[in-house]
Amino acid sequence: MMRQRVLLSVAPFTGIAGFFALWELYVRLFDVRPLTLPAPSRIIVHVLENLGFYAENAVVTVTEAAIGLVLAFLIAMVVATAMAHSAFVERASWPVLVLIQSTPIVVLVPVFIRWLGFGMAPKIAIAALFAFVPFVSNAVTGLRSVDADRLDLLHSVDASDREIFWRLRLPSSLPSLFAAGRICIALALIGAVIGEYYGSSTAGLGTISQRAASRAFVDQQWGSIFVASFVGITATLLLLACERRVLRWHASTQQR
Amino acid sequence: MTALPAIDIVGLTKVFDRSGQHLVALDGLDLRVEAGEFVSLIGPSGCGKSTLLRAVCGLLPIDGGSISIGKESPIEAKQRKHFGFVPQTPALLDWKNVRDNVRLLQTVNRSAADNDAHRADNETDDIDDLIERVGLTAAASAMPRELSGGMQQRVSLARAFALRAPVLIMDEPFSALDEITRADMRYLLLELWRETQATVLFVTHNIDEAIVLSDRVVVLAGQPGTVVADVQIKLGRPRAEGIEDDPIFHAHAASIRRALHEGHR
Repeated sequence: MMRQRVLLSVAPFTGIAGFFALWELYVRLFDVRPLTLPAPSRIIVHVLENLGFYAENAVVTVTEAAIGLVLAFLIAMVVATAMAHSAFVERASWPVLVLIQSTPIVVLVPVFIRWLGFGMAPKIAIAALFAFVPFVSNAVTGLRSVDADRLDLLHSVDASDREIFWRLRLPSSLPSLFAAGRICIALALIGAVIGEYYGSSTAGLGTISQRAASRAFVDQQWGSIFVASFVGITATLLLLACERRVLRWHASTQQR
Repeated sequence: MTALPAIDIVGLTKVFDRSGQHLVALDGLDLRVEAGEFVSLIGPSGCGKSTLLRAVCGLLPIDGGSISIGKESPIEAKQRKHFGFVPQTPALLDWKNVRDNVRLLQTVNRSAADNDAHRADNETDDIDDLIERVGLTAAASAMPRELSGGMQQRVSLARAFALRAPVLIMDEPFSALDEITRADMRYLLLELWRETQATVLFVTHNIDEAIVLSDRVVVLAGQPGTVVADVQIKLGRPRAEGIEDDPIFHAHAASIRRALHEGHR
């Protein structure tokens, strides 16, 4: 039993370690040129040597992604609440949401830049757009998934719509909101990076990655990819830790 | 406590409109529950028991007839928090512990309770006392998912009684429990009820349960649902375990079973 649990808890790390070990082995064994594919050890050393540079740019990207995520969440909650309360609003909204989701958002980058300039604003908007639809659809599912008996119970004492929203609908939807958050954190980061990459900025992981690519700075190109992934993983783990605390009452956070 | 109300249902009609099809659930049903009386409704699925119950506590608009709770309409009674409602599932809020779940109905729609001065005082004492009487003192801070099904249903009962409502409305509250827990719950319910003496409308599928609990058992059958038997239970109170062996109990069980069978044909 004990051994099984230890094994299971180290399993994710062995997966990552194995992946990098194979990569390293392949580069060394076949003597692959760094321009084609640098060894992970080389990239990590490069990043550590230029930690200040990467941290500075990561802060910009994280700020854009975080503001975009919060914005997406707030707007999504308003939209989802309206959709959950009115069948008409719901029916009217779905086509628009599908439209947003099936638009390749990259092509909107120049449009946003024309509207919002070259600063952080267009990147925030793109990050928000990436995260918006998954948030709305999960929030609607969550707000709708309220159990009928619980609803009857509150109605039997004539609870107001506001009381029902805060005491029943919102807490009931937390598990789906967290599930959306897990997806949307990564999406918002991708959105911010893409905005920087195509949006001619002065800073950010997307910007330094784009510059490195155009000048064939292999180390910097891969370094920015590594840092972006690291940021994404860290943010997701932080959210998971937060979810464990907030949803302690929910079955999904039970130890398996 | 204020004077207990009787429930008076006259000519109750309810029609459901499902994808263009009219489904007449109740058609001119009459039923009276006297003040302080414990009445069980028993009948097969689809005979309109739950519809009747939901209409009585103002959860469902009706298409004809009238319902009065004392001098109030169901909506008025609901607004004044005069119903202690026990749904089929425990319906606990998973994110609140046992004590907060028991308090839940007190804490919503507060303005209604303030009108009834007799209910406002000693709330906290009441809650702890109730939790003790349903045997959950040790679990008062536990979360719902740490409780067994029987314990959850005890919380649900305590929550309804915490309102000190003059009318209790119960929709097959014990149907998901195993037979042994279920039998225990009957006597717990009787004990809690004995002190409030509220007017009770209780829906069940279980003949034994109906007899043990009730002053009267009303058998509903057919579609639309009609009253096919109205049995006055001639067992004294308080009732204790073993009452199921009483010959009067057996006689009642037999007549109710017969009524259910005849109604079904």
